[in-house]
Amino acid sequence: MNYFEVFELPRLLGIDMNALEKKFHELSRKYHPDYFSTGSIEEKQKALEMTALLNDAYRTLRNPVRRVEYLLSLEGFKPDGSKVPKSFLMEMFEINEQMEEVHSGSASPEAVAALRADIEGRAAEFDSQIEDASQEWDRLVKAGAPDVELRSQLSRFTEILSSSSYIRNLERDLEDAG
Amino acid sequence: MSRIVGIDLGTTNSLVAIVENGTPRVLPGQDGNKLVPSIIHFEESGDVLVGNTAKARLVKNPRNTIFSIKRFMGKGLDDIREDLALLPFEISSDSEHIIRLKIFGRDYTPPELSALILRELKRNAEAALGEEISEAVITVPAYFNDAQRQATKDAGRIAGLEVLRIVNEPTAASLAYGMNQHQHGTIAVYDFGGGTFDISILKLSEGIFEVRSTSGDTHLGGDDIDEELIRLVMREMGGSPDPSVIPELRKAVLLAKESLSSQEFAEIVVESLNFRRRLTRDEFNAIIAPIVERTMVPCRQALKDAGLKPESIDEVVMVGGSTRIPLVREKVQTLFGRVPHTELNPDEVVALGAAIQADILSGGQREMLLLDVTPLSLGIETMGGVMSKIIPRNSTIPASATEMFTTYVEGQTNVKIHVLQGERELVKDCRSLAQFDLKNIPPMPAGMPRIEVKFLIDADGILNVSAREQRTSKFQSVEVKPTYGLTDEQVESMLLASFEFAESDIEARQVIEARNEAELVLAATEKGVRNEHFRGLPAEEQTGIAASVSRLQEVMKTDSHTDIRAAIEQLSANTQNLAELIMNSAIEKALKDKRVREIDNEPPTNLDKH
Repeated sequence: MNYFEVFELPRLLGIDMNALEKKFHELSRKYHPDYFSTGSIEEKQKALEMTALLNDAYRTLRNPVRRVEYLLSLEGFKPDGSKVPKSFLMEMFEINEQMEEVHSGSASPEAVAALRADIEGRAAEFDSQIEDASQEWDRLVKAGAPDVELRSQLSRFTEILSSSSYIRNLERDLEDAG
Repeated sequence: MSRIVGIDLGTTNSLVAIVENGTPRVLPGQDGNKLVPSIIHFEESGDVLVGNTAKARLVKNPRNTIFSIKRFMGKGLDDIREDLALLPFEISSDSEHIIRLKIFGRDYTPPELSALILRELKRNAEAALGEEISEAVITVPAYFNDAQRQATKDAGRIAGLEVLRIVNEPTAASLAYGMNQHQHGTIAVYDFGGGTFDISILKLSEGIFEVRSTSGDTHLGGDDIDEELIRLVMREMGGSPDPSVIPELRKAVLLAKESLSSQEFAEIVVESLNFRRRLTRDEFNAIIAPIVERTMVPCRQALKDAGLKPESIDEVVMVGGSTRIPLVREKVQTLFGRVPHTELNPDEVVALGAAIQADILSGGQREMLLLDVTPLSLGIETMGGVMSKIIPRNSTIPASATEMFTTYVEGQTNVKIHVLQGERELVKDCRSLAQFDLKNIPPMPAGMPRIEVKFLIDADGILNVSAREQRTSKFQSVEVKPTYGLTDEQVESMLLASFEFAESDIEARQVIEARNEAELVLAATEKGVRNEHFRGLPAEEQTGIAASVSRLQEVMKTDSHTDIRAAIEQLSANTQNLAELIMNSAIEKALKDKRVREIDNEPPTNLDKH
């Protein structure tokens, strides 16, 4: 059973968060190990596995990026580093140099704040790119678009995700630096 | 089916609770106290005291009186080196991966010591409920890692308890609060105890308690405040005193700390050092401010992880003894911009919540459901000493992840997997959890085997690993070497040892009881022998009594309670006549006395009628 099937949802990226949460609670009440504590070993094992699957599905589908990553893995696509544009890599190189200064403590508080704002701005930009691409995917699926168009859209996702993973790493780096 | 109890196994105090007729209540110990101090005292004779009786020996006998053992759970020597300076315990040299305390020449691991506390709670619950207890829910700090959770479960097992669930303390507390209020909305539970700090953010809706994020510090609590004050006293006295006076020092600063929660000033008095010092609340606040500030860091992290701002928290709940400190309440109120809830006793609320969870597990009620999270990200070591995350922190548990592994060398039959917990990128900055060894992989060319490994964090927050070779579909055997902790075999042998321990305990108790009774019987006999009726007994009866007295005095020196009991029986039989004679005359005398008194009580006859 894949994560969309767990929630009885079509393989679309636009998901109503309130409905997802409601379904999550409903299924938790059905499968949770707490309700099988006095049951047989098989019942307990099944409850554990079903609830783990449910939780994994919820964790993945409620997050727009993880949702796309999951769709790609279902469709046999992987984020591909070679699709990252050269100009973007040059920018990343510069940001990394600034990050070095933050780590070594030689950056001024203003420079750190500016770097933080830059990174956060780029992260937000990627979020909106993913959002737009997700809507496009749903539109294509609903319109019954030919396979080649669907695959090109999936390939578009791998580009966005590959680039955004650089930004996510930078965000984490900045967090670690305090 | 026997009933399931909820246990709060605390750093400072432990409690056991149960739900009866839908209401949770804490079960008191035999001495009537609900709080059992988490203190264990060892007598040279091998007797073990737990709780208030052990606490009473803390100052006089510090080396053999163990406290705050929770801080050592799931830890290695390197983790606790700093603490040891202020702890009077003797650590065995064999403590690198699991601490071993040496007490009268025997090594004890933290799970074994915690088991002694759990056994006391089990006994208290059994005495209060009049039935055997074999199953429990035990709480742990939300930020406890896998090893610390496993150590707690091991402790339960060694104590003869099946641990049906490990529950996080702040979430347990939220159950106790939520039960009374049937609320909806987002709540933050700020849990500042004796040794640990936790913050959990939950969303409540229609009986579902869903944890959104949790953070904390498993080495931050009231103990740290005490230690700051101890250092203050030591500084002012100049030089460090003998380690054996530290418990007395600790007791003195603890008293001052506690009274500063309600008074504006207090006095630290250490009699044996002739030390006296006035401490105002302002001074105290200045000393503890950095510690309280440290609790704010996880609070901000938890808010961030939940994607919330402080103002979106509807209610704040205070748990743990350290939340009685006015500065702590003030800081929490400032951060969240609202007055925190303190209605329930912060010492009891976790145990009450544990009892509610126990009730849910026993099928008592299905209205409430707790959905908790794992506090730390789970990852595996990859090339170059990098940690690759497979289950992120704050994932609802149970949670799982599947990874593929293969071989690097032709015919390779083993693959090692190093599992870690933590948020940092490099393996060396994360907490090593265990080495898993996938064994008996069918020999194939390098890269051919496809071994699917499933990592599953169960509802206790503990990792389970299973593996399958995909081509052959065969389940692979996985050998687990916990980095910090006991193997199943070690727990098993400790369990057996604890049975022997319990038996020799009962044995020792019976001997003591028999001796006490013998003393009473001998004292009574001695009195009887001095009575006038003794001289009236036939000569052979007199010598019979004398013989059985010396026989009893002789066997009292042995450790055989059956022999002592037999000698008591014999003496009682031999003194039966004497006892009856004395009794009869006593009754006669009593009756006579009564008559005399009654006569005395009659209104005086006025003889003089003039």
